[in-house]
Amino acid sequence: MTAQQLDVALKISAVFLPMLYLLVAVGYGFYFFAEHALAQRAAPLLLRVTLALHMTQLIMLGVRWQQFPAATVSQALSATAFAIAVVYALVEWQSNELATGLWMTTLACFFEVLSSLLYTAKPPYQEIFHNPLFSAHAGFGLLGYAAFAVAASYGFLFLRLYSEIKRRQFSVFFGKLPPLEVLERMMVGALLAGFIALTGALVSGAVWANEVFAGNWLMDPKILVTIVTWVFYGLSLGLRRLRRWQGRQTAIASLAGFAAVLFSAVAVNFFFTDLHGFV
Amino acid sequence: MQPMLHPLSGDTSDQAPSLLMIGIDHRCAPLALREKVSFRAEDGEALMRSLVTRPEVREVVLLSTCNRTELYLLPQEEASAYRMALSDVFLARAPEIESEGRFYVKRGSEAAQHLFEVASGLQSMVLGEPEILGQVKHAAAASNSCRSSGTVLRQLLKRAIGAGGRVRRETALGSGSVSFGYAVIDLARNIFSRLDSCKVLLIGAGEMSRQVARSFKEKGIRDLAVCNRGGSRLEAFHALFPDAQTVPYDDRQARVADFDVVVTSTGAEEPIFHHSDMRRAMQLRKSRPMLAVDLGVPRNIDPQAGDLENLFLQDIDSLEALIHQNLRRRREEVPRAQEILDRELARFQDWHRSLAAEPVIGSLQRWAESLRQRELAAARKRWPEEVAAEVDAMTRSLVRKLLHHPSIELRTGGDSETLQWARRLFRLEETPPQVETTKDGARHDRGSDDGDG
Repeated sequence: MTAQQLDVALKISAVFLPMLYLLVAVGYGFYFFAEHALAQRAAPLLLRVTLALHMTQLIMLGVRWQQFPAATVSQALSATAFAIAVVYALVEWQSNELATGLWMTTLACFFEVLSSLLYTAKPPYQEIFHNPLFSAHAGFGLLGYAAFAVAASYGFLFLRLYSEIKRRQFSVFFGKLPPLEVLERMMVGALLAGFIALTGALVSGAVWANEVFAGNWLMDPKILVTIVTWVFYGLSLGLRRLRRWQGRQTAIASLAGFAAVLFSAVAVNFFFTDLHGFV
Repeated sequence: MQPMLHPLSGDTSDQAPSLLMIGIDHRCAPLALREKVSFRAEDGEALMRSLVTRPEVREVVLLSTCNRTELYLLPQEEASAYRMALSDVFLARAPEIESEGRFYVKRGSEAAQHLFEVASGLQSMVLGEPEILGQVKHAAAASNSCRSSGTVLRQLLKRAIGAGGRVRRETALGSGSVSFGYAVIDLARNIFSRLDSCKVLLIGAGEMSRQVARSFKEKGIRDLAVCNRGGSRLEAFHALFPDAQTVPYDDRQARVADFDVVVTSTGAEEPIFHHSDMRRAMQLRKSRPMLAVDLGVPRNIDPQAGDLENLFLQDIDSLEALIHQNLRRRREEVPRAQEILDRELARFQDWHRSLAAEPVIGSLQRWAESLRQRELAAARKRWPEEVAAEVDAMTRSLVRKLLHHPSIELRTGGDSETLQWARRLFRLEETPPQVETTKDGARHDRGSDDGDG
């Protein structure tokens, strides 16, 4: 494929991928609310097709610009959407549980729509994206964000079901979501995966920053917020492990942690940092 | 549903025999009457065996459950079969049925539709209850084993079972619990990842506890324990559930932490579990949740305990609210279920209609085959053996291909006028357009039961 053909394909994919994610979310919605048999078969299939196309888009981005496909906010958001959808598809494949598909694919759709809205045809050339250590740093970071987003979604669903049973007010959620123990297990699994990925991002970022900046990079606001977030997630998992915290507290922590991640990814990136200005 | 009295008024003997159903159910008859005409499995089979030997009857199936007794007939002669079935099956056991008009009769597609609705749970006392599908399957198996059903009723039952299964799979008609026992299961299923590994403690051994125990046993719970103050009810409980462990009444507070689900239904005037008992239990359970269902009036568990982390305390009101909500959801599913049944019924009717074309198609095939044989016999005298064999195979294939589309057309759109035209066109011998079924279940028509025709 020529560079021109790749550009056209990338433009088309920026329009069609959000639509496909929307269609997937609608399919899972039909399954969740109407228990439609066709939706039960079609939604997972459509998700796999969408993931295959999305992966093709990311590969095309890498080939076209010869760099890690997270050089712009748009690309980073798209990679996060992809990671969320992959994490969910793996959970679905392993548990054969479609009930949370609506929420996870809606989340992926949200990130993909944002990515398309911020789409730029030509990303700026970034030398750092050719550094393998930095690519590992960015990859771990995006994977961590995706896992925390998934954890927060499961946390939200857990709290919703928990409060329904506690308050004895049964809505459409009751009987359609996985049991609380399963939601809790999924949430804690995603938190752990996110924590490990974020640890990887911090370690690889520290090694790379030491090589490149060799100076006072630790005081960068983005890094400080990320370290605070990492400590918060670590403490939550530790308290959970020691059984000092139960499902409800962990679910609240997953939501609070994700709020911090969003703050770190959006507000700090845009307004407070120079070091992380590349995304 | 209004019971119908003598719906076969007037002479029906000149009409082609159509499917006939006579029944009594929970909507038109009280339990006292229903139990008189209820048949145990072996009595039902004996009845079907006896009825199918009667000259008025071609095929017969009896469906007898605690809520309904229905007799499905393919009569030889409708009016006499109706009179015989009504008097021998229903009036002989409960003569008051006729005078009080406590039965119903349906014919043709109405009877078929009724069975489809019964199999899917639309006609059940508890809308969408699942047991009826199994009972229809049993009725089908019983009529097969005693050879009282033939081509038509076997196909009808098969289609009804298929339609019932589709309704169950594709709608939420059977979803959600509509009894106390299943409501507790429903709650537990929303909390615990594996229901079969839950430990269940029942406090009280009365009817409510038995109902809950029955539901848990059906779901494969092995760890069931019971705790009761008195001895006689406990013995009665153990007679029904011999595997259940016994927890001494005075140990209940110390042992409650060992159980994932605790159901109380005692007549105690004061709470048998105080807030402090439950707090201690939850501390011992660490992060493991507990479902406590208090079915006692007055309540057996201090309501304040519901504030404890990971303790899900439910009372009789919350269970009732859940049951009502589930029933409302089931009612909302009825139009979707009805759509599925309409489609399945149309398929059965297509198949049933195609049966009338079978004798004509049979004659057409026989006529074509005899023509082929005649021409082949003449050719065999002129050609060597190997050439004749080739010609035999070729003409057989030719005849099959020539008759393929006309046969399909006759089956799918063959009204009586078209069938007459086909007879005249090919000068076929007159064969009465009737269903060729036999009482012993042997088939004398085309293909197998499975085809739609």
